Amino acid sequence: MNVIHNMADALSGWGLWIALVGACLGTYFCRAIGVLLSNSINQDSEIFRWLSAVTYAMVAALTIRLIVMPLGLMSTVPLWIRILICALSIGVMVSKPTKRLVPALLTGTLLMVGYGVIR
Amino acid sequence: MVLFAGMVGFGAMGKTNGFDVWFTSFTTFFMFALPGQVVLLEMAITGSSVLAIALAVTLTSTRFVTMTVTLFPQFHQKDRNRNLYASVHLLAMTAWAISMKEFHSIEVKHRLSYFVGLGLLCWLISIPGTILGFYLAGMVPSAVTLGLVFINPLFFLLTFTEVKPWINRIAILMGSIFGPIFFIVDRDTSLLTAGVIGGTLAYVIDRKFLRKRAGVIG
Repeated sequence: MNVIHNMADALSGWGLWIALVGACLGTYFCRAIGVLLSNSINQDSEIFRWLSAVTYAMVAALTIRLIVMPLGLMSTVPLWIRILICALSIGVMVSKPTKRLVPALLTGTLLMVGYGVIR
Repeated sequence: MVLFAGMVGFGAMGKTNGFDVWFTSFTTFFMFALPGQVVLLEMAITGSSVLAIALAVTLTSTRFVTMTVTLFPQFHQKDRNRNLYASVHLLAMTAWAISMKEFHSIEVKHRLSYFVGLGLLCWLISIPGTILGFYLAGMVPSAVTLGLVFINPLFFLLTFTEVKPWINRIAILMGSIFGPIFFIVDRDTSLLTAGVIGGTLAYVIDRKFLRKRAGVIG
């Protein structure tokens, strides 16, 4: 656990809280801009297409990193187990076109707990 | 329900990475945007600069601009005043998706009340969810904590299968490829660079090739 605690220390104290404030302001700023623009802007415009592509790429980069190169507790699980569980969950998700999010999420989470129990 | 699970997972993530309960639940209270919160936590762990964190989180939140722009014009004209700047904080993926689905069957003048009620409920259950996850992660066996920490990446991954427009699918693919590459090159800025380069590439591919063909724009 000590190693994990040290990682959080990398950005600690005031820096961490300033980052939080910055993140909160940035998030609210985007919401407010949305209200401001909701009267005038066309959601099919080029800038929105580009922005949403950037957002998806960023969230995808984060997701893949969290699964393939995790930090902390998750890194103690072998990579192939993590990928296998993801593949199985996606299998459940796409097995029926709609409303499979909760079963798929449960499958993955319980499999991960199951792995933790038997290892 | 899924949001609650996500917030519990986020609380567990905060705990296992050595943050305190105040910091973890403050992000839920004031940001209320799960992907942004996870980005914040991840970048703080890897020791990115404050500016890079704020910029990356703001970029993940740009989806709120599009969400607001699509949802808010459906409110009654008399409700569209300054108070909307307060209610917009309640906007998140769950409330947005449900509202978009239900609004056509709700009378225009009741829509704002419906949205505020729904959003407030989501927001209020998120905070105990985060705190619960935080303390659960410290008490339950590590197997359960493992499951809790896994909820969020899995949730994001699963929602990708529901993305319809091809430009965004390509963007997801690009992000998946560039994310790990840039992480090895420079972990601090990897999310920003992977997002901007991957997203721009997807946009260019879409604009140059896909749009000429009918039926692939989505």
